[in-house]
Amino acid sequence: MSDRRLPRLLQSPAVLLLLIWMMIPLGMTLYFSFIRYVLNNLRRPEWTTPSLSNWRGFGNYEFVLNNKDFLLAIQNSLLIVCSILFLTVILGVLIAVLINRAFPGRGIVRVLLISPFFVMPAVNAVLWINMILDPVLGLQGLAVGGINNLIDTMQTAPLVGGFFSLWPDLEPISFRATQTSAYAVIIMVTWQWTPFAILIFMTSLQSEDQQQKEAAILDGAGAWSQFRFLTLQHLARPIAIVVMIQAIFHLSLYAEIEIVSRGNGNKNLPYLIGEFANNNIGAASATGIFAVILANIVAIFLLRMIGKTLME
Amino acid sequence: MGRIQLESVTKSFGDTQVIPPLDLTIEDGEFAVFVGPSGCGKSTLLRLIAGLEDTTSGTVTIDGEDVTQVSPSKRGLAMVFQTYALYPHITVRKNIAFPMRMAGLSGAEQEKRIMAAAESLNLTDYLDRKPGQLSGGQRQRVAIGRAIVRDPKAFLFDEPLSNLDAALRVGMRLEITEMHARMKTTMIYVTHDQVEAMTMANKIVVLQAGVIEQVGSPLDLYRAPRNLFVAGFIGSPKMNLIGGDEAGRREAKTIGIRPEHIDIVESDDGVWQGKVGVAEHLGSDTFFHIHGTGLAETLTVRAAGDVALRHGDTINFKPREDELHRFDEKGMRIA
Repeated sequence: MSDRRLPRLLQSPAVLLLLIWMMIPLGMTLYFSFIRYVLNNLRRPEWTTPSLSNWRGFGNYEFVLNNKDFLLAIQNSLLIVCSILFLTVILGVLIAVLINRAFPGRGIVRVLLISPFFVMPAVNAVLWINMILDPVLGLQGLAVGGINNLIDTMQTAPLVGGFFSLWPDLEPISFRATQTSAYAVIIMVTWQWTPFAILIFMTSLQSEDQQQKEAAILDGAGAWSQFRFLTLQHLARPIAIVVMIQAIFHLSLYAEIEIVSRGNGNKNLPYLIGEFANNNIGAASATGIFAVILANIVAIFLLRMIGKTLME
Repeated sequence: MGRIQLESVTKSFGDTQVIPPLDLTIEDGEFAVFVGPSGCGKSTLLRLIAGLEDTTSGTVTIDGEDVTQVSPSKRGLAMVFQTYALYPHITVRKNIAFPMRMAGLSGAEQEKRIMAAAESLNLTDYLDRKPGQLSGGQRQRVAIGRAIVRDPKAFLFDEPLSNLDAALRVGMRLEITEMHARMKTTMIYVTHDQVEAMTMANKIVVLQAGVIEQVGSPLDLYRAPRNLFVAGFIGSPKMNLIGGDEAGRREAKTIGIRPEHIDIVESDDGVWQGKVGVAEHLGSDTFFHIHGTGLAETLTVRAAGDVALRHGDTINFKPREDELHRFDEKGMRIA
């Protein structure tokens, strides 16, 4: 026992620092979530300073739960995170396998593939929503307009004109709308984070045992069997890492949501917290505690699913 | 059946030709060992036979059928790799079953063959473990099991024992030789270790820089090496090669004498004399490295049993004249 005391003593400053680092913000959030605390209220100026005499019990939690945006925010958080994870992992694996072979210009292709990751989130959102997804001025608007023009021309053509006149004009999708703004966020974040997945998978593929592949070829495994039984298995661990890191990052998306629709129909938990924090710190803190709980649920699921692969 | 024939096979990587035109026949049921220093093209040759590398020109035939353009899995050969190349994510049972699963064999047939292979390789207790939980020797046995269940025309071994420690290597060497004696399937075995070649093969193929230096049974190669390279490569410790006057006296450019064909004599009427350098006492044998003979920088002499000669002692010895090998200017054997 005594020979362990010294190492523990030496560790304690670091551990203490980490505890303070975590405990103080969490403690303050908990404290604020149980009192009335607003930034500005002319009728009840005593609420503008945090104090135990403004105790509200679970009132803030009740207020948040009854807010019409709360369930939507949780749903949206999960929808956005899960969709991005699904898309980035699939795209990442496919692209990583594709560029894992030697071809001329591979170096440049790799750099280009990685580059979206270095774009700032806000810039990424502005680029996508204004230049690509915009229904009039963006690439989407131009493409839809072009196709419509083409169809119009074909309608006057001999022979096939009759067939094309059955076609309707295509409508561009407005990605700032309530129903679609979440998809815009999913598309742009997927574009930005697929490179991260590619990068991790690519490094992992380079360490894949070539003799195993040759053994599989001799054993009669075709390209699909090799991919399924060797490559995918080999990638299980990096996939786990990519899922874990991205889940942590995307639960706290903010800039993209702000820029695409200012939260119109597309709030996630961090965005809701931000809205409350404009004035009602108590409600914002209660939402924050809900966010902590959600993150922990997600973390438990992830660890269940992924922990096993990582421990092996 | 498994008669493998290579006809004027060549292999080039870019502009470098690693295997100049080469002809070789391996008869059905033979245990052929490709041996040579590293980089001599022996592994490439094996991979050409397996189909993992494409030949640049020439034909590979198995049982009279031209398989040069046939895909590796259709050639009916099984290969055991130096790094075992087991599939790390699945159990031993599934590893062994993998080629049968790919071939679409029925579950019952798979199970039967797995059990037969596991029994002959002492793997029955390990079938449900993963490769990572096995020792090197066990992993190599799993790799062999995976090859056996395919019931191949020939087994190809690519330095299968190099990653094992010395004691295990001797054990596995025996097991593979035993397996060949029992199954009588053609085996081709690549190694850089001439002891493995000598102990396992019916037919040794000595390679250097992609060229076959000599093909023959182990004792043929030992008794009558065709040239200086084979003479120096086969046999342990190496043959002593001596040039100069001593060779000239015997009408040769170079003469060779194996350490075991030199006798130590008591009196100084010995032909050769030198000073003992390092003496390696193995108990059953003693190897003396002798300097200052004026014949070659170092000569190696074997004495049976423990001979009491120490570092720095003067030693008299003479070669057995009928065991001398003579080579001409081109390094070829003079009959």
